[in-house]
Amino acid sequence: MSYCVETQNLNHRFSNGDQVLFDIDMKVPSGSIYGFLGPNGAGKTTTLRLLLGLLSKQSGTIKIFEKDFDRNRIAILGQVGSMIESPSIYAHLTAQENLELLQKIYQCPKSRIAEVLEVVGLGNTGRKKAGKFSLGMKQRLSIAIALLHQPSLLVLDEPTNGLDPNGIIEVRELLKKLNKEQGISILISSHLLMEIEKLVTHVGIIHRGKLLFQGTLGDLHVKQNQDSILSIETNDNERAMQIISGMDFKPTHREQAVELILTDKQSIANINKKLVESGLDVYSVQILRNDLESIFMDLVKN
Amino acid sequence: MSFIHSLQSEMLKTRRTAAIWMSFIGGFFIPIIYVMYSTYKKESINSLIGSGMNIWRRHFGWNWENMAPFLLPAGIIMASSLITQMEYKNNTWKQLHTTPQSYTTVFLAKFSAILILTFQFFLFFNIGIILSGVISCLIVDGKMPEESIPVWYYLKENLKYFIACLPILAIQYLISLRFKNFLVSIGVGLIMLIGTLIAAPWQHVYTSPYSYPIIRLMPGREFPTGLSPHVMAILYFFLLMAISFLIYIRRKEKG
Repeated sequence: MSYCVETQNLNHRFSNGDQVLFDIDMKVPSGSIYGFLGPNGAGKTTTLRLLLGLLSKQSGTIKIFEKDFDRNRIAILGQVGSMIESPSIYAHLTAQENLELLQKIYQCPKSRIAEVLEVVGLGNTGRKKAGKFSLGMKQRLSIAIALLHQPSLLVLDEPTNGLDPNGIIEVRELLKKLNKEQGISILISSHLLMEIEKLVTHVGIIHRGKLLFQGTLGDLHVKQNQDSILSIETNDNERAMQIISGMDFKPTHREQAVELILTDKQSIANINKKLVESGLDVYSVQILRNDLESIFMDLVKN
Repeated sequence: MSFIHSLQSEMLKTRRTAAIWMSFIGGFFIPIIYVMYSTYKKESINSLIGSGMNIWRRHFGWNWENMAPFLLPAGIIMASSLITQMEYKNNTWKQLHTTPQSYTTVFLAKFSAILILTFQFFLFFNIGIILSGVISCLIVDGKMPEESIPVWYYLKENLKYFIACLPILAIQYLISLRFKNFLVSIGVGLIMLIGTLIAAPWQHVYTSPYSYPIIRLMPGREFPTGLSPHVMAILYFFLLMAISFLIYIRRKEKG
């Protein structure tokens, strides 16, 4: 498998001595949408800034498009579009002018300006200066800037910040479309798993500067199933405990329910069938902590 | 080529900025005062005929004497700060540093944009000088100036003033790159300029990068270095630019 972004033993220490990244081995497969998740202050932005050369690398290696970043910085940046933290735009210029000055540097066709403005829904902003845009519009303009030169890789740091729910959906659809139709790899950071779980193919979870999980969304779902807890409420929970124990599970009695670690979905059916056959009334069978957000929170807590 | 594209991009950024207006208004400010003064006094540059010097040279000298000590350096301090600080103000250093261009190109293109604005100011000022001379003659005497413009003299003197500005441009670029706060670059620049004006009679005043336009108005003055002020200004400029570049390139956070 080829990786458009690959880091090895990436460490970073702030000038005050605090270490913020610990041996980050990030692998973003080419053609993927990689969700880089972590709570605020986990090290996401620091990692992305290192990837783009905005922070001087202290130790470790960074390869983008399988080339060493330090030695091929200019060539690599020509194929990368980025948006780091808050929008980065010239407030005294219009959206068109903001793109024009970057078009000069990238030397891409002028027609791209109108194209990307249309893509992000800013085609009709005319002579309005970017400083007068709403935060959502600024965010869209930043995305347009990142897309201007038709990059092979997009690095987006919390791109939906400041967008309304409709805007979030639109950006999500846009990124999906870019990935599917143009094959652009996307590395997108967020502190909300829920926000990007419908978008990403791969996930990396970072907390306190350590990469706790990295893999496909499928891998995360496996982990999700492994870690889910089944809660069963019956008319006789003591008896239910005995029956379930007899099925080689290790249930625990919690308030008005019996809980056990769920290994696979078939087990739910087997347990329910056995309890009913044993004459118990099953009031409820529910999976606790089965959403990805809980997995994320568990990883972060541990 | 990438430098030219980068410079084009930098010039686009100056659109509608105060720096553009300052070069325009600053360029015509003293000439307009001259027209008002000559109209009030009813004295055009033609009245200088017989003073032993070409009337246009006298007119040029008068304008520069009023421009060079304070207004020119102050204008440079503000314009160079505005251009450089634009990236801090808009949070755009990170955008600029993720474009495919070398740090050297970014550094030189931005400074070249400031040089072009300074050149633009010189152009407006010279147009203003010539127009004010012509207008004063037309208003007061009802005819054109009686002597021709010494073009070569104008070009040579402009070049000397431009060289005198280089150390100020370089130090202001250095300060503006180094400090995020706009007030630091403007404040330090103005305080240093006023200090230099006060210290003008001092034999070591040349140690101030802000002194060279003032020194231009003191012809024949000699300094302990034994070098001409123009040579000292050029050396100072290169030294400050080298320090600026080192500070810029060694910055650990580039946005």
